[in-house]
Amino acid sequence: MATNILEAQGIVKQFGGLTAVNNVDFVIPKGTICSLIGPNGAGKTTFFNMITGLYVPTSGSMIFDDQSIVGLKPDQVTARGVGRTFQNIRLFANMTALENVLVGQHARLKANLLGILLQTRAVKAEEERARLRAIELLEFVGLGRQRVDEMSKNLPYGDQRRLEIARALATNPKLLLLDEPTAGMNPHETDALTRLMRQIRDELGITVLLIEHDMKVVMGISEKVTVLDHGGKIAEGLPEVVRSNEQVIEAYLGKGAAAQGKGGGGVRKAVVQSAEGR
Amino acid sequence: MSRAINIGVWAGVFGVFIIVLFGGQSVLAAGLICGLLAGLLAGARTEGETMQAGVRDGLISGAVAGVILIVSNILRNTFITTLVGQNLPSTGEVLSFGIAGAAISMVLGAALGAAHFLPGRRSSYATWAILGLVILIYPFLDYSIQLGWLGIVITGLIFILLALGLNIVVGYAGLLDLGYAAFFAIGAYTAAFLSSSYIGDQLNFANPRVSFWLVIFIAAAMAGLFGLILGAPTLPLRGDYLAIVTLGFGEIVPIVFRNLDTFGITIFGHEFIKTFNLTGGELGISPIDPPKLPGLNFADRSDQRPWYFLLVLIILFSIFLINRLRGSRLGRAWMAMREDELAASSMGINIVRTKLLAFAMGASFSGFGGAYFGAFVGGAFPSSFDFSVSVIVLCMVILGGLGNIPGVIVGGLIIELSDRLFLPQITLLLQSIAQHNANNPSLSGLQRFDPTLYRTGLFGLVLVLMMQLRPEGLLPNARRKLELHADQASPGEAAQSQTDLYDVETEAASS
Ligand SMILES: Nc1ncnc2c1ncn2[C@@H]1O[C@H](COP(=O)(O)OP(=O)(O)OP(=O)(O)O)[C@@H](O)[C@H]1O
Ligand SMILES: [Mg+2]
Repeated sequence: MATNILEAQGIVKQFGGLTAVNNVDFVIPKGTICSLIGPNGAGKTTFFNMITGLYVPTSGSMIFDDQSIVGLKPDQVTARGVGRTFQNIRLFANMTALENVLVGQHARLKANLLGILLQTRAVKAEEERARLRAIELLEFVGLGRQRVDEMSKNLPYGDQRRLEIARALATNPKLLLLDEPTAGMNPHETDALTRLMRQIRDELGITVLLIEHDMKVVMGISEKVTVLDHGGKIAEGLPEVVRSNEQVIEAYLGKGAAAQGKGGGGVRKAVVQSAEGR
Repeated sequence: MSRAINIGVWAGVFGVFIIVLFGGQSVLAAGLICGLLAGLLAGARTEGETMQAGVRDGLISGAVAGVILIVSNILRNTFITTLVGQNLPSTGEVLSFGIAGAAISMVLGAALGAAHFLPGRRSSYATWAILGLVILIYPFLDYSIQLGWLGIVITGLIFILLALGLNIVVGYAGLLDLGYAAFFAIGAYTAAFLSSSYIGDQLNFANPRVSFWLVIFIAAAMAGLFGLILGAPTLPLRGDYLAIVTLGFGEIVPIVFRNLDTFGITIFGHEFIKTFNLTGGELGISPIDPPKLPGLNFADRSDQRPWYFLLVLIILFSIFLINRLRGSRLGRAWMAMREDELAASSMGINIVRTKLLAFAMGASFSGFGGAYFGAFVGGAFPSSFDFSVSVIVLCMVILGGLGNIPGVIVGGLIIELSDRLFLPQITLLLQSIAQHNANNPSLSGLQRFDPTLYRTGLFGLVLVLMMQLRPEGLLPNARRKLELHADQASPGEAAQSQTDLYDVETEAASS
């Protein structure tokens, strides 16, 4: 058993002439919360999409849970144990919250056509269990019972984000990928979500990889931070170390700022603020 | 109260339409329809929320319609019956049938109104029992008053069966299939090959005749198989492109059946299969054996009631199965795919398999319906499966309310009855007016006026009007309604659903 849930090596992704991800090595130790940060267009989401099989890397290897996942279809990757949310919420808008979570369980359910048509006892029991589990998950992410039958598009924004997490958890992942989960949330909601992410790791034992612009969240929660810029990895390590890395400051604020603010606490603050302002 | 009267008037107007068109004792059928409308629209939707209010509104609505029926029955017989050369009934008959029609309307209206306000589940049981009774009584009524609708109603029900299947493909899975008639044809020809003497006659041997009861399932399986074959190349396509490919398939299949009248396989001068007439070309294949069941006679063309009851059972069973699918893992996968294919695949749904299954399921329904249709009309003719079939079935699905089963049924009946019954009857009426008044120049001009020629135009008009006035269909399901009127419900969310999808772009769709 490897200690890393994901080991990516030499990952490259090109779109025509544009290199969105350039030769990135990346590991996620089991049971951790890791963050992937970087300015807009750095290639973070592209990296997510390569893990989940939506994009095929131009080159490089990707080992998940001791097996290569390069070239697998998204549903196969999900079946192996990767759950994800999307940067722009992609719920099933005209399905209820409960149905959304039930869809997340799709790969874990076994009912086939014949069983469904005959409504065998096994199918009924499975459906009942799935329902209970869905409600459990909705409660876990903080969506009350009264929201269960609400059409997902009618939910408030924050609840939609939470529902997307519940749906991803329903796939029973070993690794959960969250793409900017706190985007557009107020500080209060952000705190709640930070707690939720910890709970996911501590209570459910799921490894979490986070793309996040809110430095307060990143610094407070992650064991490891990886910084991408223009597709390349420019820094990696403990949050404190990354925070004071010159290249990182430069990537966020431009060259001049880094030179000027060498070692100064003011710059550090500026990094945080500029990132939050997005 | 005024709402009940209002509905009564509208139901009555529809009744007048029927009475004027058909005359005779059709006022009884009109009473049945008015009663249903009054009961379901007025009685069951009263604001009073008590059973008394339900009965009252259903009764009032039914009575208003009933009065209109009585009056219009008198007027019809006074002015039109002789004009079109029908036999004039006695005044007593006109009155008593008018009153009987009105009574049916009132009783049905009140009963449905009452049923709706029974406590708990008994309400829907009672409503369904009443509807079941109407379904049961109708063919006997039709038969005894020589209404002559039954054959058309049966064809309509076959189309409803098709619409239920297409609803899986279009309504649930969101795949726009414009070639649905192809599977209908495949089903009918499968029945023709297996349960007629045609192939044997062509090749000079006594071919075994497979029983209808087996053939309908073989036909369904056959169509399902072709559904997979058609589905496979369309997998990477979406929306418009999918529609175009399926449209092509729908055009090709009837042409193939038409042109297989010289079929044979010759390779390098060696004749593997001697050229022969496989499909009968334009003339098609007939007769196809009717089903056999002890105690029922399906072969008697003058009494089609067994066909009706068998079909009603099949449809009820289909609805039962479709409901099971809908609430299951597979139904949810279809809907998730319709909502967002990319997110669906990221949730572990195998898009290829899910799409193909939807196609195959829909196609099986169509094949099943095709075999039934073939046996019912007694033959498979290429002209029965042209593009207009695909369009009509699609119209049924849309008119009724995409994704909603009662809507599909109501929409289907309305379209099929208008198309095959009312429109031809209007033509017939006008022509007989012209014929019986040949010396009146202003009326004899009607001879040349044939509304059935405007059929497609009227279809188009109905579709355009529907999309403008009620895009969610006649009986929309709640979610569809929300979706289409999102702008009114909550402007913020409508705008939000427009947000760009740059998150994951084109590559995933093609990979
Ligand atoms: N399907 C695609 N086709 C072409 N270019 C793409 C595609 N997907 C992403 N890109 C490009 O790759 C680069 C990296 O994009 P990506 O979405 O990964 O950035 P990001 O780090 O997630 O940024 P943000 O913080 O804004 O979400 C961008 O220049 C983007 O335009
Ligand atoms: Mg991104």
